[in-house]
Amino acid sequence: MNSRNFSQVGRSVPRIDGPAKVKGEAIYTDDMVLPRMAYGKIKRSPYAHALIKKIDYSKALALPGVLAVITGEEAPNKWGIVPQTANEVALAVHKVRFHGEGVAAVAAIDEETAEAALNLIEVEYEPLPVLLDPFASMKRAKEVRIHEEAPDNILHQAEQLFGDPDKAFAGCAYILEKEFHTSYVNHAFLEPHTSLASYDPQSGQLQLWSSTQVPHYLHRQLSIVLEMPMNRIRVTVPAVGGGFGGKGEASSADFCAALLSRKTGRPVRVTYERSEVFATNKGRHPCHMKMKIGLDKDGYIQAVDFDNTLDGGAYAGWGIVVMFYTASMIHLPYRVPNARARVRRVYTNKPTCGAMRGLGGVQPRYAMECMLDELAEMIGVSPYELKMKNAVESGYRSVSNLHVPHTEFKKCLQTVVDKSGYLEKHGKLPFGKGIGLAGGYYISGTAYTLYLSYKPHTTVLIRLDTEGGVTLHCAAADIGQGCNTVMAQMAAEALGVRYEDVHVVSGDTELGTFDLGSFASRLTYASGAAIKEAAKQINDKLFEVAAGMLGCRADQLEVKNCRFYSTFEPDKTIPWEKVVDVYTNTVGTLTGIGHFSPPRLKGIDLSRGARVQGANIGHSPTFGFSAQVIEVDVDVETGKVRVVKVTEAGDCGQAVNPMSVEGQVEGSIMFTLGQALYEEMKMDADGRMLNPSLHDYKVPTAMELPEIDSTIVESYDPTAPFGVKESGEGPVQPTIPAIANAVYDAIGVRFTELPITPEKVLKALKEKKEKEKQ
Amino acid sequence: MYLNHFEYYAPRTAGEAFELVGRLGDQAKVLAGGTDLMLILKEKLIKPQYLIDINGVKEFQGIAYAAGKGAVIGAATKISEVEHSAIIRDKYFALYQAAGELGSVQVRAMATIGGNSCHASPAAETPTPLVTLRARVVIKSAAGERQLPLEDFILGNRKTVLGVGEILTGFILPEPAPRSASRYAYIGLRNAMEIDAVNMAVNLVLEDDGRTIKDLRLVMGSVAPRPLISAEVPAILVGQEFGSELVGKAAAAAAGEARPISDIRASAEYRREMVAVLARRLLQEAFDAAREV
Ligand SMILES: Cc1cc2nc3c(=O)[nH]c(=O)nc-3n(C[C@H](O)[C@H](O)[C@H](O)COP(=O)(O)OP(=O)(O)OC[C@H]3O[C@@H](n4cnc5c(N)ncnc54)[C@H](O)[C@@H]3O)c2cc1C
Repeated sequence: MNSRNFSQVGRSVPRIDGPAKVKGEAIYTDDMVLPRMAYGKIKRSPYAHALIKKIDYSKALALPGVLAVITGEEAPNKWGIVPQTANEVALAVHKVRFHGEGVAAVAAIDEETAEAALNLIEVEYEPLPVLLDPFASMKRAKEVRIHEEAPDNILHQAEQLFGDPDKAFAGCAYILEKEFHTSYVNHAFLEPHTSLASYDPQSGQLQLWSSTQVPHYLHRQLSIVLEMPMNRIRVTVPAVGGGFGGKGEASSADFCAALLSRKTGRPVRVTYERSEVFATNKGRHPCHMKMKIGLDKDGYIQAVDFDNTLDGGAYAGWGIVVMFYTASMIHLPYRVPNARARVRRVYTNKPTCGAMRGLGGVQPRYAMECMLDELAEMIGVSPYELKMKNAVESGYRSVSNLHVPHTEFKKCLQTVVDKSGYLEKHGKLPFGKGIGLAGGYYISGTAYTLYLSYKPHTTVLIRLDTEGGVTLHCAAADIGQGCNTVMAQMAAEALGVRYEDVHVVSGDTELGTFDLGSFASRLTYASGAAIKEAAKQINDKLFEVAAGMLGCRADQLEVKNCRFYSTFEPDKTIPWEKVVDVYTNTVGTLTGIGHFSPPRLKGIDLSRGARVQGANIGHSPTFGFSAQVIEVDVDVETGKVRVVKVTEAGDCGQAVNPMSVEGQVEGSIMFTLGQALYEEMKMDADGRMLNPSLHDYKVPTAMELPEIDSTIVESYDPTAPFGVKESGEGPVQPTIPAIANAVYDAIGVRFTELPITPEKVLKALKEKKEKEKQ
Repeated sequence: MYLNHFEYYAPRTAGEAFELVGRLGDQAKVLAGGTDLMLILKEKLIKPQYLIDINGVKEFQGIAYAAGKGAVIGAATKISEVEHSAIIRDKYFALYQAAGELGSVQVRAMATIGGNSCHASPAAETPTPLVTLRARVVIKSAAGERQLPLEDFILGNRKTVLGVGEILTGFILPEPAPRSASRYAYIGLRNAMEIDAVNMAVNLVLEDDGRTIKDLRLVMGSVAPRPLISAEVPAILVGQEFGSELVGKAAAAAAGEARPISDIRASAEYRREMVAVLARRLLQEAFDAAREV
């Protein structure tokens, strides 16, 4: 079916979940109320680093209306999305490692009583020195240790060497070496974490509804912490108000709701306040990066040397994955023949960093795209020329073994440059106005399960009968990215019916078949492959019946627009539902099941511990690409940077739903624009967050929305199901460096630290003036 | 985030309202739009036993204008009403601008102009233009009424002269002078939903020659505990012909008068610099506008 003659794929249909959300009728976890439901609240630490000497909750328990109190010692099993580094607990045991870490939880008959009970819990702490900076943390590790098992206060460090960068640098005509620092940012999704647990003491079954991106990984973690087999636990995902990576792990809301429900025998719901969302974070890692890039005399990249210190916060989380991704990300979307990466992820007494849209890519991309801009200036060519010259093409295999089966990256660069008039404007605009270019890419489809299993990553079951029509089952989580809609479109395409005819049952570990979760831009690709396989089984059966009814051979039939017809005799045709009717009446319900496993790459041996360099991360069956040209106005008196226009072009493969792609692109740009210019979690010296609200943590508003002109470039990956790639994380990558490059074009200052605030701009302008005077 | 338990009163007339505030005294809080009050209740900064909701009292609402006399704005008038009032836009442009910058559409639909001054946040939007426009406040109680300039009403961060039993009922704005114009602006990170790092309003009156400054008021917000009326800027500019050199001098003088602090929103140094920038811009804008009327 690798034809591009699609009728359902490529349609800009409205989201399946759209109407209910627009009308305010979508049911989120916090909207749910069960009979006898109790309300859970978590008591949080006022210290960023302290030993817990004693917890006395007798007064809380005595408060009328309080049903139960739990502490960490009741469920000490460690959880974590990466099993090798799992070190979090449901509630702190003996020690707290960040300000706001949970130390106890209460269930009460109403929220007000639960809140009152928290104040009655007495906790005795012995404060320890607080480490907030990763370099101080490494330096003082002998004296202050955050985790017993990490004597250097380092979760993990690694070095990767490909080719001979030192030798390559020696032969380079142009070398640039710089440092970059990115900030501590949070996803700021609208819906705080919420979890509703209902444990049935008779059957021993636990049902959990949670605002999560990863029902499967949550399922596993619950099983570990609660010491219950997975088949006694069911996870359901109601409507989710955004995740962006922040719900890509379990949260203590999940564990506390479940533990309290088991203890009280009543349903318990825990919903975070916004301050708790910030306190538990899992946002982007601040990165302290040194990068060195060498070009030959013709401008071809010869070597990249990358050193990254990631500020990880208190626990492991996704940390090791993010760390390796930052190392991996330097290998695309430009050809890099020699590379070295030295990376370390350091513990500090801050809320833990984790996965955030475009994970591991955004920080090194910022460094690399800004440096290529500067290198172009050193050589005396346009950044466009330099980037085009080095851009990868279809079939490229990086030295780190990343294989790019198909790319239209050059077309993306070309499109944005043409449409924005970049070449006419760059370097020629009046002082204060600037234009900047950057490229980027992201993985699509992912490589391996975090717990190193070879099981398929996605299973899709399609069920078909007269009564239900087409029902697609998959435990994928639609967190607003639109996977339910695109799965329906792909299933409709494969079955020859209309998207409107497909019912999707997802987000449930019992009703849906297996899926790993919504992260790493994997779902369109993965579910697409599984859908194709499942649909084929169904079509094979229906074709036989249709052939009998039409009096022709099954292998001469096609199905399209809800009809079967013979390829050779087009008047031999029969409506699709008639065939379904006959099949159901004679055989019964028809099912097809399809699986997707990412293609294995040669040389990767998980049983021996994946010792192939770079093999552990960043590999992906295909990659999405994006290029952006951003125009800014800098108010040179106030220092305010205003993004005026963004011209974007993306290679997302075949767009299954172009309207959805546009939404992802525009969302990606705004999401990242905030991190470039406004957003930053600030802490005082004791590790207390100073701005844990959306009043003081400044995400861009509608007033900051620039004009966005995005183009979906013509693209089709012949190796991918329906030709698809990704569009939710690639367009995140170029925004920050494109803004930084535009600011440089406007005022001649290169910012290497985020966010680019008015005060920093003004200060830099003053320094520049001083220098020019000398 | 639960509020403490309180009794809720919703008086229908001014008389009822005065009786209630008088009787319940400092155990009670007046509730207008609630956009400040609810937040501090949730943060448990105060725990009043009674809330007296004045939204049902007609006498406290609305905008009335009489040509030659000026305008009266009821304290419980919603910010959105101020923002969309043709008369405010026409006569008191700086207030119109400030009203349009307060919070978001949703907040403006709830918040009242009286609440903004009574909450007395140093960063508040509307006190700055109101003081610039020489607004007087009307304070009433069961015992009677008093009036005073708004600058004497606000004492500092969350402090006003309101006594127990008193309600702020309105603002009186004098008729603008001929050949005058007012302008407002703020500095903040974003273009909406900002707690201002600095705000400022200017009211400028020209002589008949259209060049000489007859009268001038420049007020700064968020750089002192309460709206700061510049003494030096009028001293430099009044009686002089408008010119960029003098404006530069005036702007520097305003920056010198400001008493900003550093907090998570901005450093004192940045704020001081922005005072000069805003002063330059607003003086020019107000001058240009005054020449046109
Ligand atoms: C999201 C958000 C954004 C905001 N943005 C801004 C902004 O940009 N700029 C800005 O200036 N403010 C802003 N605010 C603050 C607030 O909206 C304003 O200060 C508003 O004008 C307060 O008016 P209110 O009617 O809601 O007052 P309330 O909250 O009802 O009352 C505030 C205080 O004043 C007292 N009070 C109110 N009316 C009277 C009266 N007539 N007599 C005596 N006492 C009275 C109350 O008892 C209380 O102590 C924002 C608030 C929110 C929630």
